[in-house]
Amino acid sequence: MAKPKVCDDWLAGCAGCEMSLLDIDERILQLVDLVDLRSTPITDLKTPDESGVDVGILTGAVNNTYNEEVAHTMRKRAKIVVALGDCAVFGGVVAMRNFFKLEDALQRAYVETESTEPGSKVPSDPELARPMTVKAVGEVVKVDVNVPGCPPEADVIFYALSELAQGRIPELKGELLHWH
Amino acid sequence: MVNLKIDGQEISAPEGTTVLRAAEAAGITIPKLCDHKELTPYGGCRLCLVEVEGARTLQPSCTLPVSDKMVVWTNTPQVREARKFVLTLIFSERNHFCMYCPVSGGDCELQNSAYAEGMTHWPLQPNWQPYPVDASHKDFMLDNNRCILCRRCIRACGELVGNFTLGVEERGARTMVMADLGAPLGESTCIACGTCIQVCPTGALIDRASAYRGREKDTQRIASTCAGCSLGCGIVMVTRDNNLLRIEGDWDAPVNEGLLCEVGRFRPLDDPGERILTPLVRKDGALKAATWEEAIAVAAAKLQPLAGKNGAGVAAVASPRLTAEALCAFSDLFGHKLGSASLATTDESIPAPVASTGALADLKDADCVLTVGADLVADHQVAGFFVKRSLPKGTRLIVVDAGENRMKPLADCAITPKKGAEHSAVAGIVAAIKGQPGDEFSKQAGVVADVIASAASMIAAAGKVVIVAGPLKGVSGALSELAGATGAKIVSVYGKANSRAAAAYKLAGAFEPKGKQAVFLALGDEKPSQKLVQQAQGAPFVVVQAAYASQLTAAADVVFPVETWAEQEGHFVNIEGRAQEARRGLTPPDDVWSSLRVLQSLAQKMGYELTADWQKGF
Repeated sequence: MAKPKVCDDWLAGCAGCEMSLLDIDERILQLVDLVDLRSTPITDLKTPDESGVDVGILTGAVNNTYNEEVAHTMRKRAKIVVALGDCAVFGGVVAMRNFFKLEDALQRAYVETESTEPGSKVPSDPELARPMTVKAVGEVVKVDVNVPGCPPEADVIFYALSELAQGRIPELKGELLHWH
Repeated sequence: MVNLKIDGQEISAPEGTTVLRAAEAAGITIPKLCDHKELTPYGGCRLCLVEVEGARTLQPSCTLPVSDKMVVWTNTPQVREARKFVLTLIFSERNHFCMYCPVSGGDCELQNSAYAEGMTHWPLQPNWQPYPVDASHKDFMLDNNRCILCRRCIRACGELVGNFTLGVEERGARTMVMADLGAPLGESTCIACGTCIQVCPTGALIDRASAYRGREKDTQRIASTCAGCSLGCGIVMVTRDNNLLRIEGDWDAPVNEGLLCEVGRFRPLDDPGERILTPLVRKDGALKAATWEEAIAVAAAKLQPLAGKNGAGVAAVASPRLTAEALCAFSDLFGHKLGSASLATTDESIPAPVASTGALADLKDADCVLTVGADLVADHQVAGFFVKRSLPKGTRLIVVDAGENRMKPLADCAITPKKGAEHSAVAGIVAAIKGQPGDEFSKQAGVVADVIASAASMIAAAGKVVIVAGPLKGVSGALSELAGATGAKIVSVYGKANSRAAAAYKLAGAFEPKGKQAVFLALGDEKPSQKLVQQAQGAPFVVVQAAYASQLTAAADVVFPVETWAEQEGHFVNIEGRAQEARRGLTPPDDVWSSLRVLQSLAQKMGYELTADWQKGF
């Protein structure tokens, strides 16, 4: 059997989930043996193969039109989409912005912050992605496996990934199921 | 008894039992959120839905009474599906950010329920509507974002505490828990008993002191006895790494059945000030750190020659927050061995207790409660809760007090006699009940005769009458007569945690340091009153046994560092004469001794052996 092809991409997140992935320590060597790791944000290939992959992992919430596009690309190219971490699963910390009007949040971040130079403006270049109401990945594309946690513990990530690498859908319960 | 079948198991339960309770008794767990064993069933959350054969729809087991030949299934696919749906709706209603909630990770009943159903995500997202957070209260806060509207807090506030501060406003999705008619909690009629926090299944009501300081699994729980007043409520100290995080009421404690007041729950967590960590001895005018051996030797050398010198000897005062063991040793050493003429507690102004003939539990089903000289809002609050919560059920309350008493506005009859004439008011009631002329009594008491007559008729009409007596001079006789005439039980509230034990050890005299050669103050963790400071300061030789630095320790010649209430081990004798164990919740600092050990070591140094038995009389 060919090794399953795995891709990873991040949306609006803090990279804590990726740090937690590294926390599986030497077990990462076992995982690498089991899978064909294709694209990740920190390797040369950034986007999943157009020819399709088996597992596509997304971390972070959907926070702007670019994130939305990344999520759609992943969905199109991956057989199984995994939402990893609370931001991808629930919206997480990023979704706290939803309690404010988007314009107010931008105004605060780009104009009113104490360290901002006077006269600064909210960026409006048409090439930039447009911020939007923060969504969980599941609100944008169909998610097959949710792995919650902020971040998910290394053991949880190892369990989920090793199950996927061996062609099984991980079932998180008991000690492996945490939302924080 | 009713016979039914739950999950194939034959069960019999008393009539009127709910299906949920019957299942629990048989060891079958049904998930639930709004239900709480101490509260009346509410049927609000729908998590406890079960399948009942023959019923058209799923039934909430928490409000469904058992009936004969009923067949119940608690774990069918349909039930599990419904449960998940209920949880989905609850999560979508408000904003449950588990990752930064202090109760996440085992302490949240909502999250635990979701875990139990294997929920990895919310099938429906919230609509990101922010809900109000009320952080106006000094001890706890209410975050409506995490509220599931189970109304446990509201039921606890009314049914258990009788305070009726919490309620809801609006309806449907706009329903919001609130205090009074929308007042911020900190400015409301809330009495800060904290029962609402103890019953909240989520992080909606959290106390400020322990939030984010560790989850339940990181903590130790030590059952002990509250040192706040003479009720002796059962508490659970929740500690982590030798820090006291919070205090909870012990649901299994017979005295308080889980309830606590502000004094028991929150105030022990206030910053008590600077701890004394080593014995101190005055040398060349300044207090210097010393060894225990040295400090005890200095104190013993000064105190021993004063043995039997009465008026010119030693005046000794102890805190009624010390253990019965320590108070007994104190009384033995200073009373029997040194023959001190002045033995007192820091609560010296209170007269001898009125004898109790009833128990606190009698308050729970009383038809009429008469309080005499006891303000159950200011003091012994949990006893007040028992009275207040029974008022809506028709219990009559009569308050006799010469001064301010915050139970008066709740009373059916409030009597304000002249100060010192309380016994006349009681005697007037007795006379009215017996049909004897009582004008003389009402005149002495300065109370209109009609008021006394109406109190008397309430008492006469009631089945079970309970008298709550405060420490008042001269009322004992009148109260016994009233009890004799009506069969009433007397519950006597009295001072601090061990005031009753202190009185039994004859520590109820006056503190008279004038003319004495030395004073000995066993304060424990009590903060000395200004009066005590002034009285002690002029004495030629001052020994202070204290946990915290104060003006008294600064003025002392010898200071012994001792354990606090949370560190000491021993017993408190409550108003029912029940000797209850105070257990060690925190390990004391290295060089700190128990009050008992200090007294024993001091006695030993002076060549005495303390033999008095603290249990004698209890």
